Amino acid sequence: MSRRDSTAPPEANPDLRRPGDPRSPGPLGFVADSLRMAWRWLTRMRTALYLLGVLALLTVVATVVPQEPNVPTTVRQWRTGEAGPGQLWADLIDLIGGFDVYGSAVFLALLLLLFTSLTACLIPRYRAWWRLVRRSRPPRTSHLASHPEHATFQIDASPDQVLATARGMLADRRWRLREDDGREPAQVAAEKGHVLREGGSLVFHTSFYVLLIAIVAGQLIGFSGQVGIVEGHSWADTRVGYWTHDGGRLWDDEDHTGFVLTLDEFHVDWHRDPRFGGQPSLFLSDVTITEPDTGETYSDTVGGNDPLVVDGMKIHQLDWGYAPRVVVEADGEVVHDAFLTLTNTDSGFWRGAVKAPAADPDVGLEILFWPYAPPDETTGEPVLTGAPWAEAPLLFFREFRGDLQLEAVQNVRSLDTSRLEETGAGGLRPGGSFELADGVTVTFPELRRWVGFQVSSRPAVPYLLLGSVLVLIGLIPGLYAFRRRLWVAAERSGERTLVTVAGRAFQRPQAFEDEHRRLLEALRERLAGATAENTASDDAPLDDPTPEHDQAVPR
Amino acid sequence: MNDPQLAEIAKLLFSPVTLVAYTAAMIAYLYSMSSTVGRAEDGDATAAVRPKGLRIATGLGLLAIVAHGAHLLTWSFAAGRYPLGNMFEFSNVAAFVAAIAAITVVQWRLQRPDVVGFVFLGVLLTLGLAVLVYTEPGPLMPILDSWWRAIHVSTIVFAFGVFTVGAVFTALYLLRETAERRVAEARAGNMSGSTVGAAFDTTTRDADEDELLEVVPGREEPDASNIDEDAAAYGIALRRALARPVSVAGRTVHVPVSLLIWTVVASVPFALVFQRASAMVGIPVVALAAVLIAWWFVPSLPAATTLDSLAYRTNAFGFPLWTFGVIAGAIWAEQSWGRFWGWDPKETSAFLTWVAYAGYLHARATRGVKGRGAAWIGLGSYGVLLFTYYVVNLLVTGLHSYAGL
Ligand code: HEM
Repeated sequence: MSRRDSTAPPEANPDLRRPGDPRSPGPLGFVADSLRMAWRWLTRMRTALYLLGVLALLTVVATVVPQEPNVPTTVRQWRTGEAGPGQLWADLIDLIGGFDVYGSAVFLALLLLLFTSLTACLIPRYRAWWRLVRRSRPPRTSHLASHPEHATFQIDASPDQVLATARGMLADRRWRLREDDGREPAQVAAEKGHVLREGGSLVFHTSFYVLLIAIVAGQLIGFSGQVGIVEGHSWADTRVGYWTHDGGRLWDDEDHTGFVLTLDEFHVDWHRDPRFGGQPSLFLSDVTITEPDTGETYSDTVGGNDPLVVDGMKIHQLDWGYAPRVVVEADGEVVHDAFLTLTNTDSGFWRGAVKAPAADPDVGLEILFWPYAPPDETTGEPVLTGAPWAEAPLLFFREFRGDLQLEAVQNVRSLDTSRLEETGAGGLRPGGSFELADGVTVTFPELRRWVGFQVSSRPAVPYLLLGSVLVLIGLIPGLYAFRRRLWVAAERSGERTLVTVAGRAFQRPQAFEDEHRRLLEALRERLAGATAENTASDDAPLDDPTPEHDQAVPR
Repeated sequence: MNDPQLAEIAKLLFSPVTLVAYTAAMIAYLYSMSSTVGRAEDGDATAAVRPKGLRIATGLGLLAIVAHGAHLLTWSFAAGRYPLGNMFEFSNVAAFVAAIAAITVVQWRLQRPDVVGFVFLGVLLTLGLAVLVYTEPGPLMPILDSWWRAIHVSTIVFAFGVFTVGAVFTALYLLRETAERRVAEARAGNMSGSTVGAAFDTTTRDADEDELLEVVPGREEPDASNIDEDAAAYGIALRRALARPVSVAGRTVHVPVSLLIWTVVASVPFALVFQRASAMVGIPVVALAAVLIAWWFVPSLPAATTLDSLAYRTNAFGFPLWTFGVIAGAIWAEQSWGRFWGWDPKETSAFLTWVAYAGYLHARATRGVKGRGAAWIGLGSYGVLLFTYYVVNLLVTGLHSYAGL
């Protein structure tokens, strides 16, 4: 393969062993040689290509296999064989960390290699680029006709005049010119695009460091927590106040400012058109914020795409559900009186649980809730629909007694029935009350809604944005700028001067073809202008106005 | 909003009007280039197609684009929003972008009218797939109603259209390159007296084409009167280089057997994704037809090097768009869900597509990875894009799945 196969600079494709390399003697020398070769291997683009390939492969795994951080329940089912391709496969996937690809050792190792390779690759490229910026000198050419773009024309101006005009024109167009070193024959050699293309590519590749640092820093200093708040209730920002939270290593409890968030009302609506029935059309929370220090309060809203920022914490509205208030009385005493935060299921109803250990024995209620279960016109029996709007709510419960086993870790929305016995069941409309056979009374006095908020602090996001902007700023010149060289020569040919404009592009030859044509035109125009001034008395028209273009005229 | 009558008009404008118009334009473009079998290899493409045929083709193409635009407009009014809400609309708009690019960029700016017919073929395939995920025009979820989403989706869909054009060029390049290489090998073989190159196996040719072929092997300096015949012979040789002689009812016909087999192998698993009988039959059949058309027109394609550079330029144009689209998506995710990136299957596969195309651009710059190697990576990258779009949307669930069908 010749070096011309590649559009990249030669620094990017070095040979592992160069002919001139001295072999170091002894075992230490062997180590040194190997290290040098490993380093060179890392600086090769082919290696980068392989590493990108492995990254792509791991990403395929992450797309196809459920990821534990995203869908832990599905992963659990894959592991037990309830879902997925079976336990054997699950074991194999676990072996390579396939259930958490981006947290796996393989991925970390790859990231390390990729960034080492990037560093190894960038150091020589920076050096070479700096050399380019400082003192690159376009070379002369001795074979004008051998370049892909090549055209000649004749003109009256003198060769010196032609070369001076060409210099002026190229300088105006920001070409880098070779300084005139007096070598014969005189020639203008110019180059353009080399600094910008390589520079863009370097900015592009360097921005990965910015992204990496911003992501790692974000993991360390960021925080995000989730909490559900029932309409009319307030909640204070303290670590223990969250249902779940995920703080970075450098985040500490002092960083919570303790502002109070009150959910005044949650608005939700749906498209009722049967064709799009059930598709939501509105989610909006009216909230009141109380500042911790001053006690100042103000009202605001949190919408789907419209988070609220309080004390540097961003509040997003992520989730919502129905919150029926359920009161349970056993032996004449209230053993449970609270709003339940029900969650939606795929089957058109909402579910939750009541756990009342204050009763003896414990009372547990499994709750199923239908927002829209209107009574049948003839029988009056409720018709269970899947519609989400709470226009005919029905709360159905099954009662269990026994041991709730609250000492074990539990899901708040379901009962562990292993030591419970089913003792009854009933259905309630809002305001209704139901007395079970064992004397327990269940009341459903009112229905509200709850909203799941996420409160997060991600101070690294602006830097991520910076990294992304750098990616784009570097990418565009890195892809579209192109390195090209141009030579202009002029020699006497009888009475007139024969001008040759030759050039070659290292990338995007088609774009250069156009540019070459434009430069040729511009040079002729300038020369014509200059000649017209000089020879204002001599009004003979310029003959031979058409340039001989290589491809148009076969020779 | 949701005007049913307007929706009916929009549907009519899509099928049959737009689909028929694109088909007609494609046929006209292919016809206009077919007259110049085996023309000068690096000549001016405009001169190489029939000017009158090209004028008709361009007219039909513009007409198709206008019809398509009218469809999208009425559809938007019927739905009461811009048409970027579900997969049908994404594919639809991506195809629209590709069709506009075919005429404005490929034909007018790059002066390559001879490949426009194939871009229209790609447009038709994309629209055909759109039909498989058809959804009635309807409202959007409120969470989807944000500026960043609009920017994200439109950039991604635009890039999808550009990459589709790039993939068409890449596939054509691979076809043409293979044909050129085999013919060159066969010629070299014949010159040195060996019998390499089944495409030139004289025993299997049928009459009139064979006479033309006779002149090819070993010729060094064709005299001027034979240039046209030579070119025609070269064209036929290119076509046969990809085919195998098959005898049907006593006659020998050349059929691109392995090409067809590979098409079936590639399209059947893809068809499974749609989980419908119509797709199971339709996709392989349409893919076979498309491959046959491409194969038949291999002789009138531009030279492999030209196709290669067209493919590279198109993909290199798509890459920054895709990059920006992914960044815009992350900004939207930060705004809506309070996290810019969550390795949700859709995000993961968008990243995968990005890595694949970055690999393609790298391969182009890597010494020793020649045009073919890079082209396969490029085609694979488009495969990844289709996977991201169809498989992840239809089979893998995640946060993005509600934007699916
Ligand atoms: C971290 C993963 C990497 C990604 C995603 C990536 C991506 C890209 C992309 C998209 C381009 C084309 C745009 C441009 O020219 O600016 C490119 C070019 C380039 N990359 Fe990378 N790259 C990575 C790592 C590397 C490494 C490790 C090396 C060194 C071996 C390298 C060397 C180069 C070179 C020399 C070019 C310039 C090619 C040219 O000028 O045509 N890249 N890279």
